[in-house]
Amino acid sequence: MAWKQITVSRRMLFIWFMLAGFIVLLSPQNLTNKFQFAFTYVFRWPLTIGRNISLSAAKQQPIRDKDMVSRVEYERLLNHLANVTQQRDDAQRNIQNLSKMRNIPAWERTGFVLANVITVSVDRLIINRGKEDGLEKDQFVLADNSIIGTISDVGTRSARVRLFTDPASVIAVNIGNTDWRLMKGCGNNQAKVEMVKRKLDIDTKIMARKTPGFLDTPMIIGKVVRCEHNDQPLVWDITVEPVCNIQEIESIHVIVMNPSE
Amino acid sequence: MHWFRFAVLVLLATVLQASLLADWNTKPDLLLILLVFFAVYCDTSDAIICSFVIGFAADLIGQTMGPQMISYGIFGSALAYLHRVIAIRQIPYQIIAIFITALLAGSVACLLNFLKGEPSPLAPLFWIALYSGIVGPILFLLSAWWMRIRKPGRFGRR
Repeated sequence: MAWKQITVSRRMLFIWFMLAGFIVLLSPQNLTNKFQFAFTYVFRWPLTIGRNISLSAAKQQPIRDKDMVSRVEYERLLNHLANVTQQRDDAQRNIQNLSKMRNIPAWERTGFVLANVITVSVDRLIINRGKEDGLEKDQFVLADNSIIGTISDVGTRSARVRLFTDPASVIAVNIGNTDWRLMKGCGNNQAKVEMVKRKLDIDTKIMARKTPGFLDTPMIIGKVVRCEHNDQPLVWDITVEPVCNIQEIESIHVIVMNPSE
Repeated sequence: MHWFRFAVLVLLATVLQASLLADWNTKPDLLLILLVFFAVYCDTSDAIICSFVIGFAADLIGQTMGPQMISYGIFGSALAYLHRVIAIRQIPYQIIAIFITALLAGSVACLLNFLKGEPSPLAPLFWIALYSGIVGPILFLLSAWWMRIRKPGRFGRR
């Protein structure tokens, strides 16, 4: 049986593909995300292997002196942590006694979903947990005990994390004990908080603000790396960087408030 | 045109870009290098198809779906037509072609991302273009071997 050869002019070919491109571009994002999640799910093994090779190559770099801590120093810090934890527990007991009411610590109402990072794109991660694991949009994501971003899209078995350094990210952060501002990502592993009323020192810790339904207690999100004068007098713009090395993250925790189990 | 070999090559480049190169701050764009390769070594109709397919693959590992399919499609097709007038066979020309295509396609993709409400940083674009230009000719040799192109213009130019 002879096949009739279909000939399409180059112009028509180009127009058809452009049309397809615009349909994909203008389709709702929750629909088009399914393509990305499907690709990540189908190729999760080679993607994970490739990333592990990349991470192990990075870890083979010689350790710098400033990254090393002696055994004695390590023990000392561990003891300090134990002391601080004990002091905190004592303080919490005192508060309960004084207030005569049961004070449920924030983390007792919180569940953590452990997820592995499949791949990293520009200021975003794709993880191997999704709706089936209780993930929802806007939930906070932790790595090395610090917030690194929020869930931006959720698939059935995978989800995308938008890092707080992503230009599309906006997260409320505390400035001192009373003031709060919106922190906007600006790419290049940095975020900015504008119009701060006082100058902050370099390495000052920045805490994510309590968000009802998503975060019950302020948590560390980054540290100040630059504090510059704004164009307006008496206000400052601060630049914030993550407190952990996001490029080397292998697994993360998603904060799920009031988990069903 | 060996379409099966093309599919394997594009999938391999996509997986490598999203895994092995994902953690690098400044990295070459393997898919963009392939875009220029197929625009230079395929006939114009095949080059148009390749450009859009590679753009779609870039979208699969990118921020949003659509911007790179459109930008790669436009500039891949334009390069294929340009190659009918000016031969891009010598290595320096190929480096320049990759560099300029990376800058233009990247800028349009950034613009479309911005219009879609998902802004992406423009700053790394120059370095991606530069690294792609440097790595490009080496990847051209590997791609030519895989696609069984023994001499330039094997697929002919129609």
